[in-house]
Amino acid sequence: MLTAMPRRYELLSILLIVAALGACERRKLCTAPDCGTLVDAAIGEPGTLLPASTEDITARDVAEQLFLKLADVGMSLNTVGDEDFQPVLAQRWEWDGPSTLVFHIDPRARWHDGQPVTAVDVAFTFDAYTDSAVASPFRAQLRRISSVTARDSLTAVFRFRERYPEMFYDAVYHMRVLPAHLLRSVPRDQWRTAPFGRQPIGDGPYRFVSWQAGQAIELQSDTTFFLGRPGIRRWILRFPPDPGVAVTQLVADQADVREQLITPELIERARGAQQVKLYPYPGNTYTYVSFNLRANGDTAKPHPIFSEREVRRALTMAVDRASLVKSTLGDVGRVPPGPMSSLLWIWDPEIRQLPYDTTQASRHLNARGWRDHDSDGVRDRDGQPLTFRVVVPSTSQLRRQYARLLQEQFRRIGVQVEIDELDPRALTQRLVSGNFDAAILSRSNDPSPSSGISQTWTSAGIGGSNYGRYSSPEFDRLVDRAISAQSRDQSKQLWRAAIETINADAPAIFLYALGNVAGIHNRVDNVQIRPDSWASLLRTWRIPHDRQIDRDRVER
Amino acid sequence: MMAWLLRRLVASVAIIFAVVTFVFVLIHLAPGEPCFAGGENFTDPEICRLLVRQFGLDQPILVQYWRYLVELVRGNLGYSFALHRPVGDAIADTVPFTLQLAGTALLLDFTLGLGLGIYQALRANRLPDVVLGNVTLFVYSLPTFWLALILLFLFGEKLRLFPVGGASDPILCPTVDSLYCLVDRIWHLVLPAATLGLVGAAGTARFQRAAMLEIAQQDFVRTARAKGLPEPRVVLRHQLRNALLSSITRFGLTFPFLLTGAVLVETIFALPGMGRLTVDAILQRDYAVVTATALIASAMVVTGSLIADILLALADPRIRVHEDAALDIVTA
Repeated sequence: MLTAMPRRYELLSILLIVAALGACERRKLCTAPDCGTLVDAAIGEPGTLLPASTEDITARDVAEQLFLKLADVGMSLNTVGDEDFQPVLAQRWEWDGPSTLVFHIDPRARWHDGQPVTAVDVAFTFDAYTDSAVASPFRAQLRRISSVTARDSLTAVFRFRERYPEMFYDAVYHMRVLPAHLLRSVPRDQWRTAPFGRQPIGDGPYRFVSWQAGQAIELQSDTTFFLGRPGIRRWILRFPPDPGVAVTQLVADQADVREQLITPELIERARGAQQVKLYPYPGNTYTYVSFNLRANGDTAKPHPIFSEREVRRALTMAVDRASLVKSTLGDVGRVPPGPMSSLLWIWDPEIRQLPYDTTQASRHLNARGWRDHDSDGVRDRDGQPLTFRVVVPSTSQLRRQYARLLQEQFRRIGVQVEIDELDPRALTQRLVSGNFDAAILSRSNDPSPSSGISQTWTSAGIGGSNYGRYSSPEFDRLVDRAISAQSRDQSKQLWRAAIETINADAPAIFLYALGNVAGIHNRVDNVQIRPDSWASLLRTWRIPHDRQIDRDRVER
Repeated sequence: MMAWLLRRLVASVAIIFAVVTFVFVLIHLAPGEPCFAGGENFTDPEICRLLVRQFGLDQPILVQYWRYLVELVRGNLGYSFALHRPVGDAIADTVPFTLQLAGTALLLDFTLGLGLGIYQALRANRLPDVVLGNVTLFVYSLPTFWLALILLFLFGEKLRLFPVGGASDPILCPTVDSLYCLVDRIWHLVLPAATLGLVGAAGTARFQRAAMLEIAQQDFVRTARAKGLPEPRVVLRHQLRNALLSSITRFGLTFPFLLTGAVLVETIFALPGMGRLTVDAILQRDYAVVTATALIASAMVVTGSLIADILLALADPRIRVHEDAALDIVTA
């Protein structure tokens, strides 16, 4: 027994030494000019990386690095015409008549398996995106393109059903060119679950390396990329479960990037970390209270409160949107001049809106017969109190907070509001079935006003995302004209008239447009963020040699 | 013993079947559609219909349930609507992390808890016992999520002694392919396991102390001392062995606590375990994943309970397993 004790300690010591040596194991060190590892605390984990099958935000960020577009929108985010677009996969393009667009593929472009990228890939991509079996979320945006064909191996021809200002934008923005030789054999109705979606082979500045489910996706720069070697060698996306955990990783120097800090509290936390630099940029979402203009649960009947335009206007005028934004969001948010995010080029603070005026709001309600006849603090008409329920997603702390603030503002003019917090799926079901009075909703815009605004606010959107069933022939007409206007100035004027029309009708209260703030490690240089897709210019980012830290020099 | 074990196994399968059925029905009845990927963000109804048809979700619930059972018998857990992959693959990826977390926490819980409990009992009502008693009571009262946040803030964010999230260093160790990466994996497990294990250990210590003190009053302990047996032998052989029975019972009850705790801990520490998978699946109405995780979790709890019963039977000579009764205590 006595002799066994030292042996045991000996064994333990050996184990500890081996573990220590293992911990000190030397790795190969990177000495190349593009050394660098960028760890991104991403918004969430995607289900697939096949661009045609998903509109997940993280999948889009990864796709920016793996799959090229023919051309991409510039920093101006001007979606009209083609002058502000940058060539990417297409070396150049020309118009062959009013509704035919010809792209010339860069002959240097290669898939990461070595195959050349051809016009056949472009035609195949369009065919797949518009195939109902693929169920691509971008299919609707491509409806005005009639065909895409390969004239020769490097020439792709787009033909449109009609001529309109955003033809070029539609041709290049929604589709990422896919490898026909790898996907042709995959049945179209199985694209969502295709193994390619978890091990993609692209043609972009980064190659796919690995995907550890629930943990990380790793990409490595393609040093032979025909548009120039990316500045940072490795990009690793981690999947923190919520924004708070993501910011913790950023602050603790275990992540280099968080592209959206979202709330003022998280921004302040990130600001407190000395290695983090903040980059504000316009956001692509706006939030509003949507009034259901049809009866709750019965879309055939008008809503007893919100079908009256004057009542909706009164409710809108009762809300001090500027103060709400200032108190809840500080510099991160702005009051939108209509149904738009700050990303859109039609944003104009001069657009006419209903003022904050509780006196006028009360007058409107009195005029419509909504008075406090029984002095209980709540207005009533024909024995019915002026009360309604507002649904809000339980997952959004900000919108829950806003619901309570709105409740108080409405109370001041004698309107009683009850709040229902629902999980997003249940909330969507209520919206689709029209089973709600009012809802606090958020919408994301792509850079074009044409798709988002018409989808959510015109009569054509009823049955789709126009959940409040707002219908105004005048608004519809103005939107149609704005979409088909031949110049950007003319289009902007028409959009302004359309937005002023919807503002006057008040089918919703447009509460705030969120700005974005990215937190990025201060050793990263040449950070350029295009607001509609923060990672689109990632290949231009650099980590100067003298600022590199240990993780930048690690080679696998 | 074998017949009893067989009966317990059959009962366990019945319990798991009941849980799966209950969860399957419940998640299908919950409001919300799985195809609305972004919450209230718009999904084309045509695309939604197509996907629902592809995944067979347009069938009556009984048909879906029957198909699910048939596939389950074949060993197929279905296909995840949200993850775009077989559920079996997703489970296989996540279960090891949850088992690592729960296993480490369990080890910490019982080694630390038993050690403290015994130590306190041997120094009952003296200063160390009073101090430890208050400390364990304090820790036992802490909500798991709160302790997790405190540990994360203190040791991860401020002192930077431990990683603040993830199962491993994504740069150096995406997989465990070296000793360094094994150490890294353990390093990442320290704070999450400590969160779960410390709260459990505080409870175990209090149980163990009480049991030790109760046994110390028994006649057979007094007799052992009167016979002149050495104190370590009295404590270890007579007092501790009998006092362990309550901890073994507690062992069986710990599994549900560990699994529910894992949901919170995995979320806070960004661990890719089954708890996080379940929460995400519930929010996304990913029916196949929710049902599968319920199946696995119930199997874990039932197995834990079974192990505890077997250990109890082995540890206590007074407990005899009868062929006729499930478990009887036979008085000597």
